[in-house]
Amino acid sequence: MIQFEGVAKTYQSGKQEIHALNGIDLTVETGEIFGVIGFSGAGKSSLIRTVNLLERPSAGRVLIQGKDISTLSSKEIRTTRKDIGMIFQHFNLLNSKTVYHNVAMPLLLAKTPKADIEKQVTDLLDFVGLADQAQKYPDQLSGGQKQRIGIARALATNPSVLLCDEATSALDPQTTKSILDLLRKINKEYNITILLITHEMGVIREICDKVAVLEAGKVIEQGSVFDIFSNPQQPTTKRFVRSVMNDELPDSLLAQIQAAESDNAIYRLQFTGTSVGKPFMSRVSRDFKVDLNVLFGNITELQGVPYGNLIVEFSGEPSEIELALSSIRESDIHIEEVNNYVS
Amino acid sequence: MSVNYEQIIEALWETIYMTGAAFSFSLLIGFPLGILLVVTRKGHLLENEPVSKVLNIVINIFRSVPFIILMVAIIPLTRLIVGTSIGTAAAIVPLVFYAGPYIARLIENSLLEVDKGVIEAAQAMGATPMQIIFRFLIPEALSSLVLALTIAVVGLIGASAMAGAIGGGGLGDLAITYGYQRFDTLVMFITVAILVVLVQGVQSLGNVLSRTVRRN
Repeated sequence: MIQFEGVAKTYQSGKQEIHALNGIDLTVETGEIFGVIGFSGAGKSSLIRTVNLLERPSAGRVLIQGKDISTLSSKEIRTTRKDIGMIFQHFNLLNSKTVYHNVAMPLLLAKTPKADIEKQVTDLLDFVGLADQAQKYPDQLSGGQKQRIGIARALATNPSVLLCDEATSALDPQTTKSILDLLRKINKEYNITILLITHEMGVIREICDKVAVLEAGKVIEQGSVFDIFSNPQQPTTKRFVRSVMNDELPDSLLAQIQAAESDNAIYRLQFTGTSVGKPFMSRVSRDFKVDLNVLFGNITELQGVPYGNLIVEFSGEPSEIELALSSIRESDIHIEEVNNYVS
Repeated sequence: MSVNYEQIIEALWETIYMTGAAFSFSLLIGFPLGILLVVTRKGHLLENEPVSKVLNIVINIFRSVPFIILMVAIIPLTRLIVGTSIGTAAAIVPLVFYAGPYIARLIENSLLEVDKGVIEAAQAMGATPMQIIFRFLIPEALSSLVLALTIAVVGLIGASAMAGAIGGGGLGDLAITYGYQRFDTLVMFITVAILVVLVQGVQSLGNVLSRTVRRN
C-alpha cells in the first residue's frame, strides 16, 4: 500500500517558487492498478518520483507499507528502491550494453551469483517475449521492445510495486496496447501494485482500477475508473473522459437541430451494467405516445462492465414525455436533459 | 642535412616517451577530477557546491596559463619532483600540469553527454553513487571518452614539441634546434612530416577504438 499524506513539492526557480505538488492525499491499495492523469505540468512526474524518493517531498509524507520513507537512511532508501521497480517514457536503457546485460543490471548491482542471474534473466526475457533478442543492443530494437526490456529490468529485483512514468507515451497505439496487456499480466500474475502516470485517458480506461485527476499540483477528482468515466464532475475530468469516449453530438447533427428550431426535448441517457441489455426504447414508445429518435450513441466497456450512452430526442405531448421520462428513471437508467446543444 | 637518421629516431622516441608518460600521469589525475567535476554539480549524484567551485577555479587557472609559460613558471616544482629542471623527464612535469586539467574538462564533457534518464534509472534500481559512476556513467560514455582522450593525446604531442624550449628533447626540439636555428629546411620538413603521420595514426587509432567500445 502506498499512501500520500499532504505531499507537497516546491521548486526554487530563480526567485520564483514553483509549487509542483500542493498537498496530495492518495491511497494506492496493494494489488491494484492506480492511474494518475493530468496535462503536462500538472505535477504527475513529481508525484510518482516521491514514491522512490527520486524527488523528496518538501512537505507531507509518503508511506510505503505504512513506513515513512523520507526518514530512511540512504542505505535503507536503496534497499527500499529495490522493492519498487520503475519504467520510463524514454526507457532509459544502457545503449552500450546488450539486452541481457540491461536486464541483469539490477542483479549485478545486488551482487547476485552469476548462475542465478542467468536463470532469472532468461526467465524474465521469456516473460516479456524477448527471449530471442538477448544478445542484441537496445538501439537495434523497436520502442515497444525497448519498453519490454525496461519492464524486465524493473521486475528483476522482484518488486512489490511498479511505477510507470508515461510508459506508453512514446509508443504507437498498437504497441501501447501490447505493453498495457503486459502490465496487466504482471499485476495479475505477480500481484504487483502498479502506480502509473499518463496524459492518455485511453491508458486509464484500458487497465486502471482507480484513477486520480491531477491539476496544478492538486487531486481534483478521484475514484474508481467506472465512476470517473460514467460521471465525471470537474471540467478537466470531463475533457479527459471526452478524449476517449466521445459523447457529444456531431457538429452536423447539432446544426440540423438548431436549424429545425424544434422544441423537442433532448436527453442524455446513461446505461450501466444490466440496464444496457434492456429494450427500453420500444417499451417506452409502446407505453406512451412519444417518438424516440436516437441522435447519437455508443456502448463501451469500463473495467469489464458495459456502459452505454445515448442522446435521444423525444417528441410528443409534453405530458406524455413527462410520463415516459419518469418511467425511464425507474429502470436504472441515468437521464438528464441536454439543452445546451440547442441554443 | 645537419642531423643523422639515429638522431631523428631518438627524437621520435623522446616525443613518444614524453607524450606517453605525460598522458598516463595526466589521466591518473584528470580522470578522477573529471568525474568529480560532474558528480559534484548542482543536482547531480554527489552535489557539493564548495568542492565544485574550488575544483572549477583551480582547473580554470591551469587551463588559462599558456603551456610555454606554465613550463617555466613551475620549474621549482619540477626540480622538486624529478630533481632537475631540464631534460625529457623534467618536461613531463609541466606536461602533466598542462594535460591533467585539460583531460578533466574533456572527461567532464563526455560524462555530461550521458542521458540523465539513465542515471535516474540507476538510482531507481537502488544503485550506489559508485555503482552509478562505474556501471552506468562510464560504460555509457566510453566511446565518447575515448575520442576525448584522443584529443588529449594529440594536444600532448603538440605541447611536447614546445618542451624543446627547456631541453626536453623530442621532435619539436630537433625542429627548432636544427631546422629553425640552423636553417635546415629538410630537418624541419622531416620532423613536421613525422608529426603529421604520428597525429594521423593516433587519431585513427582513437576512432577505431571508440567504435569498438561503443558496445562494451
